[in-house]
Amino acid sequence: MGALTRERDVREAYAAHSGELYGFAVRSLGDAGLAEEAVQETFLRAWRAGDRFDPEIGSLRTWLFAILRNVVIDLGRARAARPRVAEGGVEPSVEPLEQALLAWQVEEAMRRIGEDHRKVLLETHFRARPYSEVAEELGVPEGTIKSRVYYGLRALRVALEEMGYED
Amino acid sequence: MRTDDHRDWKLSLGAYALGDLPPDERAAVAAHLEGCEECRAELRSLEGVAALLPLADPARIEQPTARPPADLGARIEAQIAAESAREGRARKRRRLRLGFGGAIAAAAVAAALAIAILPGSSGESSPAQKVDFASLPKGVSIDATLEPHAFGTEIEMYVSGVRSGTLCRVFLRDAKGRTYSAGSFRYRWGEDSHAVLSSALDLSQAKVIGVHAGDRTFMAPVDQATALVGGAGIDAT
Ligand SMILES: [Zn+2]
Repeated sequence: MGALTRERDVREAYAAHSGELYGFAVRSLGDAGLAEEAVQETFLRAWRAGDRFDPEIGSLRTWLFAILRNVVIDLGRARAARPRVAEGGVEPSVEPLEQALLAWQVEEAMRRIGEDHRKVLLETHFRARPYSEVAEELGVPEGTIKSRVYYGLRALRVALEEMGYED
Repeated sequence: MRTDDHRDWKLSLGAYALGDLPPDERAAVAAHLEGCEECRAELRSLEGVAALLPLADPARIEQPTARPPADLGARIEAQIAAESAREGRARKRRRLRLGFGGAIAAAAVAAALAIAILPGSSGESSPAQKVDFASLPKGVSIDATLEPHAFGTEIEMYVSGVRSGTLCRVFLRDAKGRTYSAGSFRYRWGEDSHAVLSSALDLSQAKVIGVHAGDRTFMAPVDQATALVGGAGIDAT
């Protein structure tokens, strides 16, 4: 796909990327309605600026996420500016948003890897349970838990790379 | 070092990267890493991912992936189609201005005079009319530009926000309520969103323009006073 100048291009872009964009918008805005608004605004801005998208420079996905990132900042500001008793009332800064994007990518990557690998990483790493206990619960040797941790991390890396992650 | 051993060491690297190995095993893996470049490279790649894990929230991982509402795509399509149509009209107006320049203005003045002097005269001398459909359902946008011709009226119509594939049948009505078909088109999202049609009714006789879109009908009055020529409104009264 070249520049994003035809309505059909936008439709294809929506089919390919709206799920991820929406998932991240929900996570960072914490509200399904605002997330919808953010995704809609993202595709409108993408279409208006479509002739400036250059696939030689970066992927469409990266470009759309960069637009969404700005939209989320704008929406966060608008929300913060609304006169109501603020929850913290802090304007979202760039740093936590980049971190939110990365956190969402890791969570999404975890959802994409195989069930066996996800389960073992969740129990041993996130819930800090001993390998022996998880092995017993799953009815497999402890060595299997260890190798699932290894293959799970490798799968996670592949899933993250598919989402544009690089070290 | 046998290949099998090496594979066993490799399988421990995930737990090593996450800091999950008991001290004795950890020391053994560290000793192997000293002498194995391949395992060191593998470890570096795993450590990058392991460092990201603390960012994730396990409760969120176990939630199903959030999906956008099914109609969000269609709403975005409608909005873009509407913008696209507005841009198309702006281009057309620019083209008219560029193409005909002063001649259009002179003709418009002549036409305006003709209407002022001879109301209800032949459509051929009337200027083009821009019609706005007011009070449409949310998300739907329709407007039309009507141009007088010897054969009757040419209608350039922009529709957006209806379901892609919808059959749109356009008509004009005169003061006596008689309907004159202007033909039909199918609204297709993603294609050029305007259609050019024609009706036998003289523009000067047209009181109403309407479109049956699917099972709905939208109508708008043809206001003979709001002429649009080359982007400028001409007051005919
Ligand atoms: Zn090795």
